Order: sequence, then C-alpha cells, then structure tokens
Amino acid sequence: MALLGTLSLVATACGPTGPSGGSTAAPEEKPVAGGRLIEGSFSDIKTMNPMLVADVPSSTVTGKIYDTLFYADPKNGELKPNLGKWTISSDSLTYNWEIDPKANWSDGKPVTGEDYLTALKLVAMSKLTVRKSNFQDIEGWKDFVDGKATTISGVKVDSADPKKFSVKFAKVFCPALVNAFGSSAGPMPTHIFGKYTAAGQADAIDKAPENTAPTVSSGPYVFKEWRKGDQVILTKNQNYFKGAPLIDEYVFKIVADATVLAAQLKTGELNYGTVEPKDLADMEAQQNLKVFKYQALSYTYIGWNVKSTTAPALQDKRVRQALAFGLDMDAVVKSILFGQGTKMVAHHPPASWAAPGAGLNQYPYDKAKAEDLIKQAGFTKGADGVYAKDGKPLEFSIVANSGNKTRETLLQVATEQYKAIGVKVNPKLEAFETMVDKLTTGNQEIQGWIIGWSLGLEPDPYGIWHSSQIPDPAAKKTGFNFGAFTNPEFDKAIEAGRSGNCSQAERKKNYETFNKILNDEQPYNFGFSPNTLLVVPQNLRAIDPGTFSATWNLEKWWFKQ
Amino acid sequence: MRTYVIRRLLYAIPTLVAIATITFLITRLAPGDPIRLFTFGATDLTREDIEALRAAHGLDKSLPEQFALYIVNAAQLKFGNSILYHKDAMSLVLERLPNTITLAVSALVLQLIIGVPLGVIAAVNRGKWIDNAVRFFGVVGHAVPAFWFGLMLIIIFSVTLRWLPSQGVLTVGKDVWDIGDRLKHLIMPAFVLALAGIANYSRYLRTETLDVIRQDYIRTAEAKGLGSKTVFMVHALRNALIPVVTALGGVLAFLISGALVIEQVFTWPGVGQFTYAAARQKDYPVITAGVMLGGMLLVLSYLIRDIAYAVVDPRIKVK
Repeated sequence: MALLGTLSLVATACGPTGPSGGSTAAPEEKPVAGGRLIEGSFSDIKTMNPMLVADVPSSTVTGKIYDTLFYADPKNGELKPNLGKWTISSDSLTYNWEIDPKANWSDGKPVTGEDYLTALKLVAMSKLTVRKSNFQDIEGWKDFVDGKATTISGVKVDSADPKKFSVKFAKVFCPALVNAFGSSAGPMPTHIFGKYTAAGQADAIDKAPENTAPTVSSGPYVFKEWRKGDQVILTKNQNYFKGAPLIDEYVFKIVADATVLAAQLKTGELNYGTVEPKDLADMEAQQNLKVFKYQALSYTYIGWNVKSTTAPALQDKRVRQALAFGLDMDAVVKSILFGQGTKMVAHHPPASWAAPGAGLNQYPYDKAKAEDLIKQAGFTKGADGVYAKDGKPLEFSIVANSGNKTRETLLQVATEQYKAIGVKVNPKLEAFETMVDKLTTGNQEIQGWIIGWSLGLEPDPYGIWHSSQIPDPAAKKTGFNFGAFTNPEFDKAIEAGRSGNCSQAERKKNYETFNKILNDEQPYNFGFSPNTLLVVPQNLRAIDPGTFSATWNLEKWWFKQ
Repeated sequence: MRTYVIRRLLYAIPTLVAIATITFLITRLAPGDPIRLFTFGATDLTREDIEALRAAHGLDKSLPEQFALYIVNAAQLKFGNSILYHKDAMSLVLERLPNTITLAVSALVLQLIIGVPLGVIAAVNRGKWIDNAVRFFGVVGHAVPAFWFGLMLIIIFSVTLRWLPSQGVLTVGKDVWDIGDRLKHLIMPAFVLALAGIANYSRYLRTETLDVIRQDYIRTAEAKGLGSKTVFMVHALRNALIPVVTALGGVLAFLISGALVIEQVFTWPGVGQFTYAAARQKDYPVITAGVMLGGMLLVLSYLIRDIAYAVVDPRIKVK
C-alpha cells in the first residue's frame, strides 16, 4: 500500500485510459437484473465519509454511495454533468450549479444546493480531514473555519429553487472545478449530517456514526453492512436518479495479496479486480474471463537530485539526458510489465488531455549518444570503464523501496545498463517510510531515487514541480519537489496553468511548455506508465472502463445468464 | 486467594507500564513519520493542512510531552484516534478481538483433543510403530514454520481440491450466523495455529504418562485388581494431565501472539492482522492499542495459569 502517492489517487480511484474491450453488449441482448459484483482488494476501507477519505479502498466504496456533481469521461477525462450541471461566469470566479430534478436521496428526499453547503461545512469543521485546502479560495471560507461566521458567504442557495446554488471564489483557480466540486465535495444529506454543522460542535463530524454506516445514499448503491476486515456489502439504490442498478449487490472483499486475488477471479469467488502483468497470460487463457487493458494515470520514475553537491554530475543537463538515452525503457516495460505499459518522457501520461501531443524527444535507447553527451559534459573514460572528471568518477546512488519488486528490478536494470555507458550506480534499498521521510524533508543523502506518482483527474502539477514545493531542511519545510528542479519559465507555465485562462485549450498550451522543459531538462528519467489490467467475467455486460473511470456507468452493468 | 489475586494484579501494573513505554519508544524512534506517510503524494494539500493534521493527533508536541500524555491516557485505556481510520484506536482493535479469540480458542481445543490422545496412545504403545510415528510428528510439527504450512494447506485444500475457503471468515452472500460456513473458514487457520501445540502436547503427554504409569500407586491400583481401563483413565491420565492444565494460561498468550502470522496468511480479520497493517502505516494509536491489548491478555493469562496452578497443586503456597 501507499507505494504510490495515495491521496492524489483518490480523485480517479479507478482511473484508466486507452484501448479497452469496448462495449460488449450485442444489440439483440436484453439486459436482465440480478447478481452480485464482488470486487477484490488487499486492504479494508477506512471510512465511508467522503470528507475523510484519503485512501483508494475507501474512495472506491464511498464513490458508489455518494455520487458526485460531475463525472469524468472514462476515455478523455472530460467533465460531464452528473448530479448537477454547471456554468462558469465570464470572470471565472462564480460557478452556477443546478442539481438534476430527479436527483433524490435513497430515502426520497431531494438532493439540494443546501446539501452542497453541508458538505463544505463538514470539511470546515472536521479536524481530521485533509481536504480543507480544496475550498480555501471560496469567499467566506476562512471566516466560517475560524468561527467568525455561521455560514460560508460565497455559497448561495437559490431561495426560489433549492436545486440551484452558486459558489463564488475570491480568485481565479483553474483546479477549482475538480477540487471544490469533486468527490470530497459531493452533496451530503443535510437531514442526516446537518446536526453536525451547528456552531460550537467542532469535530463532531469526526465521530459521527454515519461515517462508518451511512444511512442514505445519492449513488447507485446503499450501504448494508461492513464486516470489518472482511467485506463491505452494498445493495442497489432503488431511487437512484439514473435508474436503479441492474446488479443487486456490490461486495468489496478483502484478500491477502495479488496471487490470491488472481486465483479467486479464476474460481469466480471474485468477479471484479485488477491483476499484475505477470498474471495477465493466465487470465487471458481463462474461457470465463475477459481483461480490459488501459493506461493508468500514474508513472514510476527515477528521480535525480539536480542540486546534489555529493553527486555534482547530476547538476548537468547533458548527464541527465545521457541517463535517458542510456536506459532501454522499452525493454524494461517488456520485461517488468510484460509489455503492459508505456515509456514516459515527461510528466503527464499520454492519456491525460494535458499531455503534449508531439514534439517531445523520445530518448530512444542509444548508448553511443549517451556516452557522447557524457563526454560533452567534460568527462573522460578511465581504465576501469567509468567516466571521471577532475579525478572524480561519475558515480551516484539510487535508492528504491524494498519489497516493491517492480522498483527493485528497475533499480537492478538501471545499475547494469548505466554501467555499460560508464556510469557507476550504487544501488540501495530502504523501507518506504524511511524514503518518504528523506525525500519530503530534502535530505541531501538522496542522489537518485525510484518511486511513483499517481495523478488525479486535475492535471495541475504545482504540488510536485513548483519551486515553492522544494523541501528545505534548514527551514524545516517539506515538499514533493524532491529533486529541487526549477527554472523561471517553468514556474511561470505552472502558475499560468492554474490561475491564468482556465479554458482547457489555454491550459494545455501552458502544460505543453511545462512538459517540454521537463522533457529537455530530464530532472527525472520519467520511466514508464503501467497499464491497468481489469479482469471481469466474460458475461458481464455494458462495462466500459477507461483511464479516468472504470465504474462511471455502473448502474447499467448486468450479467448475461 | 483474594489477596493473592489482588497482589498479582498489582504486580501486573509495572509490567504493563514497561510494555507501554517500550512500545512508545520503538514506534517513535523507528524511522518514518506517520503524518508524512499518510499525506505522501497528496499534492493538493497545503503545508498548513498537513501541520493541522499533525496537531490534531498531538504529534506536534515534543517527545517527552507526547510520552507524558500517552502514559496518562493509556492508564485510562485511551490511545487516541487512528490516523487512518479517524476513530478511537482501542475500540477499533476491540472490534477485531472476537475473531482472534475465536481462532485462538479453536486452536486450543484442537491442541487438546488431538494432542492429548496422541500422547497417551504413544505412551501406551511405547516402542511400537505408532509411538514412533507420534514422536516423529512431535518433532516435525514443532519445527514446521506455521506460515509455510498454512500456504501448503491452501494449495492442497483450496486451490487443488477446492474443499475449503482460503480467505476471510465468511463466504460472500452468507448470513453472519451461518455457523457451517464459519467453521469451513475456521478449520485451516485453527489447525495451522494449533499444529505446534498439538506436537508439544503429544510429546508432553507421552512423557508424563510414561512417568505416571511407573508410579507405585498405579501398581497398587493394578494389584487391587482394577481393570486396566479404570487404572488408566481414573488414576494415570488424571495425574498426567495436571501439568497440562496449569500450562494452559501461557498457551493462550502464545496462541494470541501466534495468530498474528496465521491471520496474515488466511486474511483472518483479527487483532494481529489489524495491528500489523497499522504498523506498516505507522498508525501509532492503533499499534499501541493493539500491543497493549496483547500485553493485557498475556498478563491475564499468566494470572489464570498461576491461580489454576495454586488450585490444582496445593503444595504451591501463595507467598
């Protein structure tokens, strides 16, 4: 667990991309109701309150109980109306929402604008949520958080039509749509949670029994039972606004590991789960199963500390480029992922709309070119086959977290292949928690490291790449720009992408600049983006997963008898 | 006897304080910061959010301050909110306790109903093939690593024969009161957990029985003309069992700690599995609650053992 960043994953918990099996329902088939969908997971859920969710299992289950205002197109991530539809004012500051007239809670009460306000108040009052920053730019937010106001002045519910509401921001912030109206801001039932939002009951929401046993639902399923550590059982919501689901029950089942999960998919004890590349051939050989393959919104990379004083070679762009040419990532994808992945040369995975279409250096495997670049950087090859400058060998360490086989293998391959271009790598393995500590606090022991990023629906790269996110041990400042890479043009592109013109086309331009700088400067060897391998029974119909959502049309799924 | 129990309970206090202190030190001094781990990759969080979370869990205070608060709270059985679950850590651990107790008690029953007869049969048939077989099993059963044995059983009975479920406590779709289904889930983990104990008891009982049947009073009983069955069941076995009964307390503690590994292998949702998962995520409150619960059970089971010992064997005087 938590080998990738966990929290940012939540926005697109089931996030997929690329080619899939497509819709499998033949036109003459008539959907029938019934059956049970059983999803396998390695860890239990932690909560069913979307405000407190910070892990993938909880988000997977909670997302089926509380619907969100919009949903993401599974293939391209484009936002589409769901519980609500919206317009944005010309100054990009006000979002006007109208909730679907058919949208009701499972107990028959309508979903209203007040329910959105309740969700925000719950976040504001919780001491344990990590979602507060999503709303900090809403007018009146801070006053409410500080107890100076009884409501959030920027959120206005239409008195004539309770289904309509507007949200005003104090400044333009492009990720606002995803962050402030996404899964952690789905409407929450005021008639259930309203009692926790009254003044003077700070953190009452953190102890609410409904966090572990939700009583009403706006999503396709309603909560039935949580058998702790074993299974979570949901039943269909007969009042779901898009029509009651065809599949009667959804079960979230805990299993020990990937091997057990694959075995249980084969026996039918599970009928929904993602498998590892090594199990793919076995799964595809099963008559009763089918596999959907699509790019995940994540990547595994080798990072370089570009400010390292102990490994100064990494400060030189030419050396970093040489390290890109000198590692055969296509072969790595073939051997580690059995071909189920894509080589990456910049930050945004190709499936994301923010990824540049063309114009990136692909860094094809080329040992000669790699050595040329190293020579250009002033290094000469010694008798031992290792390049050196001023008597110092071209040498650095790369650390990976022990126990993660993919990363351990990548480290092994990188060490061998870099040796072939005259670069000496000292491979190291450390516990994940130790690595997290060293990376986020800017410990300068770190020269190179292998880890992964899971990206969300919102492509804003500020938290990972902006210069303000460089950890500074002296100031006890933590951050995720571990390698300390920055330049002014780069910062500017990131800033413009989040608070300039928010149209997708304009943002895409800024992210093109951003990705091209990364592609040229190579502060990471960007590694690869794996495919999600989703396995379901052959007779499951209407499922149509993609990079950005696997379950967007869950209510339409059915089992052919 | 009452004073004895009270005194023993008082003795338990320094033990528990020591366990609490060691747990605190090990968790805090081991590398890794729970809040940084919890928020790792959460790129949309501000530093203020992260620090507020740290403060909400009291982790912003100095280590001595944290320790003082921790001891005061632990004395009231309060261990704080789980970082991952946002809920009181002790109540989370207690929710899993019934599953662990079920597993441990089942294993104990298996140890007794299999281990004791095996030992007796071996003793009665001393030197014959059956005795050798039991003695061989006594060594192997004790030496086989439980997790490996568990995996072997899964491969045989779940994967190949498909007779028994390999994971969890209940089949999806079964009612919580479906005892038959629960037993099917219980049988493999309970047997694996019991294995070492079965082996031990069989060796123990064999030695004890051999010892007892050589005693004078057995010869006397036989001389009185009692049937060999009566001699064995009434005189021999009863005496041979005394040390076994007194050993039970410690066994229960052993079973609860041993359940940690077995729970992992069979995804058995008990205290061990839960505490282990918490340790991996550095969820301090859950780790300490889990360890303290284990510590309390240990102390309690030793207390029960000592009382049982005093009751069974009057020669043991309470001092």
